[in-house]
Amino acid sequence: MELDIRVEKDNDQIAIFLTGEIDAFTAPKLKEELAKCTVQSGKIIQVDLEQVEYMDSTGLGIFIGALKSAKEHDSSLKLVHLQDRVFRLFKITGLDEIMDIKPVIQGGKQ
Amino acid sequence: MALQSCVNIKKEWDIVGARQMGRDIAREMGFGTVDQARIATAISELARNIYLYAGSGKVCFEKIDTIEKRGMCMIATDAGPGIVDIGQVMEDGFTTSSGLGAGLPGVRRLMDEFDIKSAKNVGTEIKAIKWLR
Amino acid sequence: MDVVKSDAANYKNFLKEFIETQNERALYGAEQIIKTFIKRNISPEEIVNLHILAFAELYPNITPEVHRAMNFLLETMISYGMALQEYQALREKQLELQSEISVAASMQETLLLTEKPCISGLDIGVISIPAQQMNGDYHHFMKGKDGSLGIAIADVIGKGVPAALCMSMIKYSVDSFPEEAMSPQMILNSLNRVVERNVDPSMFITMFYGQYHPDSEMLTYASAGHEPGFHYCAETDTFSEIKAKGLVLGVLPDTEYQQYERKINKGDMIILLTDGVTECRNGEEFIESDEVLERIHEFRHLPAQEMVEKVYRYFERMQDFHLRDDFTLLIFKKRV
Repeated sequence: MELDIRVEKDNDQIAIFLTGEIDAFTAPKLKEELAKCTVQSGKIIQVDLEQVEYMDSTGLGIFIGALKSAKEHDSSLKLVHLQDRVFRLFKITGLDEIMDIKPVIQGGKQ
Repeated sequence: MALQSCVNIKKEWDIVGARQMGRDIAREMGFGTVDQARIATAISELARNIYLYAGSGKVCFEKIDTIEKRGMCMIATDAGPGIVDIGQVMEDGFTTSSGLGAGLPGVRRLMDEFDIKSAKNVGTEIKAIKWLR
Repeated sequence: MDVVKSDAANYKNFLKEFIETQNERALYGAEQIIKTFIKRNISPEEIVNLHILAFAELYPNITPEVHRAMNFLLETMISYGMALQEYQALREKQLELQSEISVAASMQETLLLTEKPCISGLDIGVISIPAQQMNGDYHHFMKGKDGSLGIAIADVIGKGVPAALCMSMIKYSVDSFPEEAMSPQMILNSLNRVVERNVDPSMFITMFYGQYHPDSEMLTYASAGHEPGFHYCAETDTFSEIKAKGLVLGVLPDTEYQQYERKINKGDMIILLTDGVTECRNGEEFIESDEVLERIHEFRHLPAQEMVEKVYRYFERMQDFHLRDDFTLLIFKKRV
């Protein structure tokens, strides 16, 4: 499966749009792209996962690594528009409580 | 040991010159067609490494003619950046994965004897021998 | 390896026969010779040379152009031969690595071996199958002096060798904890510090730790971000999720885990699993956890070991016998 990564930069804001699946095969590419952003200081990084249908635990590891790296460089990392199945992973692992995550808005409530 | 004949490697075209000289010597010494082709290919690889990584250097040839053995020795020297990890460049798949030819493991297989000396920022000397059978 | 005289003579005869008759038999004969050449690692340039020599002997009057053209082919084959030799060397290396990994896998099996304890009134079944050679899932049973039974089930993110190495660390940490400290909460608190200090930031572990006390019929448990298990209640004939909040191991050093408890009644079952079970796919479709529970419900009258095996076989077949992730399923039934 493929993962398409699109990065848009606007001053200190970096928006990353992901399309496809995040698994052991696509994770290294995502890790590399995220690392490029999180090592810059003072950035506001937002990752849009609306088009990510599947993510396995490898993906969680990548985002935890990115979160740690962002904190070290005084940047922030936020995940938005997660689909139910993907959000569930963050919830089960308790990561939703230490990360800034906004799932897909459904029926008017977040 | 006989006198050395050398070809300086500066331009890509010099690789062809080195092949030509090596083949003439190999033919004259009585190597068969297959071994001539192997020697020429090994020269190509060595000369190409000099051209790509060191910029300039030379490839020299010596005829070895003793009572026990006859053969041809080639020595490629350069004053380039040197090879930091010789074990790594001698590993299969290391140079070829970046698409730069068969690399040094290939040369070692084509020849009967093979030796590298290298020092960082000093240069590299590679010596290879093919025996006449 | 060099071509021997008899091969050369055979090759020449088949070449002659083919040129004169275009007979398929000659081609078949040549095919057999080439096969023996491949077995003996004879390089392509040697074969081209054999061809040139045989042809020159058969037709001494060939034009210099033809002869040169064939020598040209020989020269080009040298690089091809080098590539082939490199490929063969790499293949041998790969076989070596493979056998090293299988040695490591069997070592791991010995290291992580855990015996299914016999506790009267409890029927335990467990299956743990790695997707690759080495298992990143882990389960462990511990019998306490007070008669309690500790059950750990864990999953390292990722698969293969790194996950397996990490698991061995977990097992030895758990083994080294003093028995007084064996409450699920304390174990997870301590393990979290071990993992946080010793593992790469992008690596983490989920774990469920339960402790069953036969006297009080209570299960106390805590979870570090592990896939929730299920409690089958015999009285109502329903399943409920064993919810437990908790961050995965190895992310924040000072995480405190909450401990929960629930009563286990006669005929009840506790089902623990890893995400290799819930992430089974049917083609492109994911299975829903309902499907796992439906199977368990279907097999509920069987002994626990038979149940887990049947569930595994079912999902293995559904996925064309190819696991994507390590699969661990543990069921314990309270018989009396």
